[in-house]
Amino acid sequence: MDFILEGFAKAVFLLISLDASTVSAISATLKASTWAMGASLAAGLPLGFVLGYFDFPGKRPLRTVVDTLLALPTVSIGLIIYAFISSQGPLGELGLLFTITGIAMGQTLLALPIIIAITAATVENIDPDLRLTLVSLGAAKLDIIRTCLWEVRYGIMAGAVTAYGRVLTEVGISMMVGGNIKYHTRTITTAIALETSKGQFADGIALGLVLIFIAFCVNICLSVLRKK
Amino acid sequence: MTQPQPAYLLKNVTHFYGDKKVLDIAHLAIAKGSITGLLGPNGSGKSTLLKLLAFAMRPVSGNIFFNGRTEYPFSPNIRSRVTLVTQKPYLLRRTVYDNIAYGLQIRRDTADLQARIQQALAGVGLAYETFAHRQWHALSGGEAQRVAMAARLILKPRVLLLDEPVASVDARSAALIRQAALAARENWGTTLVIASHDLAWLFDCSDTQISISSGTLFSTGMEIIIPGPYTPDGQTLSKTLADGQCLVLPPADQPGKTAVIQRENIHLATGPETENRYDNQIKGQIQSMHMTGKQQQIMTTIAVPEMTFMLGLDPELAASLSLQPGKEVFLLFRSQDIVWR
Repeated sequence: MDFILEGFAKAVFLLISLDASTVSAISATLKASTWAMGASLAAGLPLGFVLGYFDFPGKRPLRTVVDTLLALPTVSIGLIIYAFISSQGPLGELGLLFTITGIAMGQTLLALPIIIAITAATVENIDPDLRLTLVSLGAAKLDIIRTCLWEVRYGIMAGAVTAYGRVLTEVGISMMVGGNIKYHTRTITTAIALETSKGQFADGIALGLVLIFIAFCVNICLSVLRKK
Repeated sequence: MTQPQPAYLLKNVTHFYGDKKVLDIAHLAIAKGSITGLLGPNGSGKSTLLKLLAFAMRPVSGNIFFNGRTEYPFSPNIRSRVTLVTQKPYLLRRTVYDNIAYGLQIRRDTADLQARIQQALAGVGLAYETFAHRQWHALSGGEAQRVAMAARLILKPRVLLLDEPVASVDARSAALIRQAALAARENWGTTLVIASHDLAWLFDCSDTQISISSGTLFSTGMEIIIPGPYTPDGQTLSKTLADGQCLVLPPADQPGKTAVIQRENIHLATGPETENRYDNQIKGQIQSMHMTGKQQQIMTTIAVPEMTFMLGLDPELAASLSLQPGKEVFLLFRSQDIVWR
């Protein structure tokens, strides 16, 4: 029991003293996850809207594929990305292996199905009278897409938070694609795994606290936005 | 002299939901600046017709001409000019101000926005100071419908389509919505097409009435539709009402048609007729009586089970029969005057 309490005490010290390796892990995590969320939202929102709003042949099987991808293990994504960006892979020349960009690519693949599936499900539940209302107010097609997404913004924000939670806490992609290189690609989760395996519980607990704090901040922001 | 171009001209328009044909209109013209009343039971195709007139969807076949041109959804010629108010208003998840401003904002016409919103709200009896900054969820049903109406009226539309606009609102809201719709015609020459079960209002305000049943038009509102199902009864057909009364109908030349009788062929009496001139003598009760400004007639609504008869009566006849709401009357008509369409 003592080692847990000691861990908490050391965690507070590491955070207050801005320990270099801790700050580096936090920075790597935030960089990779921010890029991943930006890319997955940019691609996932329009794709999710199309999947939820329009009827087209093959829509149902496509929904099933997207829903299946929700459960894709992070190590599988890590493996796929690794195969593509390693020196033997088709994108090997880009030198993305063991970089933050490489991690962000994998995390984008992780978040994308979540954003698409939640956007599609939210858009599918839009009141059919909304489109009729917008058309009768003179909306063009682009206005309709924009306004529909705005109308369901809280549902989509909840989806984005879910995706962010998954991206923030994954280990498989960061470990395989990033290589867990100290001061470079070591993220909070890979650092926790490493420190715990070395018996350095304090460092692990400190980084765990940071993860919980980030998740807490994101949810607070969402809650404030909802109230607005 | 050439005829003025109608606001709408529909030619051979049909529409389907899946395999089911819901609308079949060979020809319909709606004059500019007119008020057209759309009558018909639930499910008769009124809402589908209004959605097509609003260019919210394309008909499966046929053409809809607007101001002489074939138009289609999202055409720049109809955007903001043709607008529809539905029975159940959908308000955007924003303030009342933002809901009303939406139509102007998307067409980037925001000069004097606050003053125009103030005017639009006043037109439907809502005070700007009290309502402008309320959220959409803080409104009653009647207030929400009035905000929806204001959001359309601020666009000064050329055509205002109203689909049961007062069916689920309180009496005061209903009166204000009716008043605002008529003011649009008076102020801007807006063409109105109104579907409503409020027959007294429709007959009072509209220039033309169109009856619609099973997706088919019966040209004017001068007919009463006797909806099915019809039961074979020897050589003829019959329709049994919920209270056991039976209507005698002529044989139909082909199945799937609707029985229709001209209003002028229906006579009213306070007791049964004994000379057997009419094979249909249906007992009903007067629901309402309403003097129309246009025809100088008393529009009298008589309810029988499953049906409502709306007859225009001469005021002298109404006085001689001492007609008043609640009174039991007999509707007399001959089966041979019923036609199949």
